[in-house]
Amino acid sequence: MKAFKLDNEPKLTTGFTTPEHYFENFSAKVLLQLPKEETKVIGLFQHKKRIFMAVAAVLILALMIPVYLRYSSQSPELDDVTIENYLTSSQQDMSQIDLISEIERESSTLKMTSDLEDETVEDILVTNSNLEHLILE
Amino acid sequence: MQDEQEFIQQLLNPKTQNQAFEKLLQEYQKPLYNHIRNIVLNHDDADDVLQNTFIKVFRYLKNFKGDSKLFSWMYRISTNEALTFLNQKAQKKGVSSQELQTKTIDNLKADVYFEGDEIQIQLQKAIAILPEKQQLVFKMKYFEELKYEEISEILGTTVGGLKASYHHAVKKIETFITSL
Repeated sequence: MKAFKLDNEPKLTTGFTTPEHYFENFSAKVLLQLPKEETKVIGLFQHKKRIFMAVAAVLILALMIPVYLRYSSQSPELDDVTIENYLTSSQQDMSQIDLISEIERESSTLKMTSDLEDETVEDILVTNSNLEHLILE
Repeated sequence: MQDEQEFIQQLLNPKTQNQAFEKLLQEYQKPLYNHIRNIVLNHDDADDVLQNTFIKVFRYLKNFKGDSKLFSWMYRISTNEALTFLNQKAQKKGVSSQELQTKTIDNLKADVYFEGDEIQIQLQKAIAILPEKQQLVFKMKYFEELKYEEISEILGTTVGGLKASYHHAVKKIETFITSL
C-alpha cells in the first residue's frame, strides 16, 4: 500500500462552499443586529424625587389634621369652659343657707393638726383689724 | 489595513463607528468564516457563530486594550465562540464533541454547501481523531495558511510548540489515511 504523504499530494482544499451572495448580504445582516447605543432615560419621578417626597409628606400631614382634631375633642380631660358651665348651673340650685351649712359640715370634720399656743391666738386677735367686723357679721 | 490605532479610534467614535465597522466586516468576514467553518463544519452553524463573533467584537471593542493585534483578538473570539457552540450542541444532543464531529462529517456528502471529494472527507475524518489543539493548529496552518507567528498570537502557544503540534498532526493524519 502506498503511504499517503500530505506534501506529495496536491494541496487539498476543505471543499466547503457558501450560498450565493452570502458575503454580500452578511454585512447588512450583522449591521442590523448591532446593539444601538442606549439613551439614558431618567424617570420624571426619579429626577424630582425629593420634591415629590416633600409634597407627599405635606399632603399626609394635611390629611392627618382632621383626624387629630376629631380624636383630641373626644379627650376624657375636661376643658375650663365645661367646668365653669357645670359650676354655674349647679350653684343655681343651691341657696346661700345650703352653701353655709355645707361649709360648716365640712369644717366640723376638720381635725386640728397642732395646738395653737395662747400667745399666738392673742397676737392674731390683736393684729387682725377686720376681726370685729367679721364677728359682727 | 490602515494604522490600527487610528482605525480602532474610528470604531469607538459614534460618528465614524458604523462606517468603520462595515470596513471591518468587509475585511474579516471571509477569513473568519473560513476559520469558524473549519471548526463547526456546517454552513448554518458557521453563519450563526460568525454573526455572534462580530456582535461580540462590536460590544467589547471598548475593552480592547491593544495588547495584541485586532486581527488576532478577533480570531481568538471566533475560536472561542466556535468551540463553545460545538460543545453546547454536543451537550444538547447528549453526545461528545468528537461524536458530533464524526456525525457531521458523515453527513458532508449530503451537504449542499460541500463540494469535496472522497479524499477531502477522509482528511476531515483524520482531523477529527486529533486532540482539539492539534486540530486547530493543523486547520489554521494547512487550510487557512496562517503564519506560525500569527497562530502563536491567537492561541497563546509558542512557535516551537505549534511546529511540534503541526508535525504530530500531519503524521497522525497520514497514518490514518494510509490505513484506510
